[in-house]
Amino acid sequence: MKTTTMAFPYPVALDPSLALETAVPAVYAEAPMGPKIIARQVSFFYREHQALFDNDLEIHRHKVTAIIGPSGCGKSTHIRIYNRIYELYGDQRATGEVLLDGGNILDPATDLMELRRRVGMIFQKPTPFPMSVFENVAFGLRLHYKLSKGEMADRVEEALGKAALWDEVKDILRQPGTALSGGQQQRLCIARALAVEPEVLLMDEPTSAIDPIATAKIEELIHTLKESYSIVIVTHNMQQAARVSDFTAFFFQGRIIEFGDTRKIFTNPSNKRTEEYITGRFG
Amino acid sequence: MKPRPATGRRIVNGVVGVLATASALMGILALAWIFWGVLSRGVGALNIDFFTRLPNPPGVPGGGLANAIIGTLAMTGLATLLAVPVGLMAGVFLSEFGQKSRLAEQSRFAANVLMGMPSIIIGVFAYAILVLPRGRFSGYAGAVALGIIMLPVVARTAEDMLRLLPNTLREAGLALGAPTWKVTLAILFRAAKPGLLTGILLAVARVSGETAPLLFTALNSPYWVSSLAGPTPNLTVTIFNFAMSPYPDWQQMAWGASLLITCGVLALNLAARFFLGEKHS
Repeated sequence: MKTTTMAFPYPVALDPSLALETAVPAVYAEAPMGPKIIARQVSFFYREHQALFDNDLEIHRHKVTAIIGPSGCGKSTHIRIYNRIYELYGDQRATGEVLLDGGNILDPATDLMELRRRVGMIFQKPTPFPMSVFENVAFGLRLHYKLSKGEMADRVEEALGKAALWDEVKDILRQPGTALSGGQQQRLCIARALAVEPEVLLMDEPTSAIDPIATAKIEELIHTLKESYSIVIVTHNMQQAARVSDFTAFFFQGRIIEFGDTRKIFTNPSNKRTEEYITGRFG
Repeated sequence: MKPRPATGRRIVNGVVGVLATASALMGILALAWIFWGVLSRGVGALNIDFFTRLPNPPGVPGGGLANAIIGTLAMTGLATLLAVPVGLMAGVFLSEFGQKSRLAEQSRFAANVLMGMPSIIIGVFAYAILVLPRGRFSGYAGAVALGIIMLPVVARTAEDMLRLLPNTLREAGLALGAPTWKVTLAILFRAAKPGLLTGILLAVARVSGETAPLLFTALNSPYWVSSLAGPTPNLTVTIFNFAMSPYPDWQQMAWGASLLITCGVLALNLAARFFLGEKHS
């Protein structure tokens, strides 16, 4: 299913024959080093109002990066730049650079369909489409791949399996996705996003609308998913950030105040405001 | 400071309540009255012949309005086929693509004006562009006139129904890599289906009683409908002609046709309510 450009994301390796000639080690080409996403000097505007100021951030491969900070600090705004979903609204714009495997996704020439296939998103409220469980997952697959009926069924099962939902829904695949419980709906959305083989998963407060048990399941899922995906999670819940993430970025008033190893941020933050937020003195 | 006594306030509240209730009852009463009048006088005209035979000449008892029923159904059906796809797409443009653009603002304004346009003017318009040049009244011209009347109703309800959907649904579709048209047709249309169906049914109900636009276009005919290329029989113009005639048989037939249309509009409205109710449950 993967095309050559996906396996060789760096420009030098775009042409496989060239890659052989220049003898780029296969390991390097398959698993490029360095961060998956590098945001450089990213600012964001809602009309005239500036919401983000010169954000610099690195999202590491196969790690979970948590974004924390008080309400309105720009956490969601920041990750909504990574798949350019903000463009649904004509009056919002981003400046700076966001490099995904070295390519600037803010470049107007970026193919949005392909970008959003590579960078999946999970929203705060589960958003099942008004169709069956099966069709919810098949929807994205149909957009990006031409599959036979059998292949489609396999891929849907695989995606639901990865989202730890298959056992619960295998007998009700024809029922509407909206009939599932909130936690199941959210995992259905995760399955839907995973089906199209993304490389990055953006999760915008994915558990804030569901109950604690369902939340625990999703956190567990995040642990397994990071083996295959680079994950960014926005969360209001600091225990959650501490539990699931490897790196944490603290946002305040549109600026990234501190970024680093989660354990360090939570035990020994360098910035006073980070410490105050984490210890619950504001926010 | 002593608070004002509650008595006056209670009286005013009571009076306003009574007036409002009485006004609401007047609306229901008017409908009930019309329905009862049409039902009591029209029910006698409804029999098998009414639905299966051509009208008889005045003075000859019996006969029916089968040709007019077929003509009305055919023209309303064709008008629906013309107006619904265009209207839905216009609604999609207003809600998804155009949004606040100048073209969208102007289209929205035009649709509002068109909705308030007296239907006789639309009839004269269709007469001028479709009947005069060909020198012939036709059911096609009638269907176009009815379609023009339906168009803004379908477009505006489609826009409103699509706008009611949360943006999270659009974002979820786009985030999977779907283009806007795909999100709209595959996801939003499904989510808004009850509302869209309701809008279409109400638009059909709106034109099924139109007379003026048909007077200038389809005219009427006492014969069977062989094609829509010539004058086409229809219920509303038949009511107009027969009710004005001095013949009791024809007048009775006009009552029957009125009853039929009233029941049709009522059924369309009930169906519309049913679909909307399904959405809310």
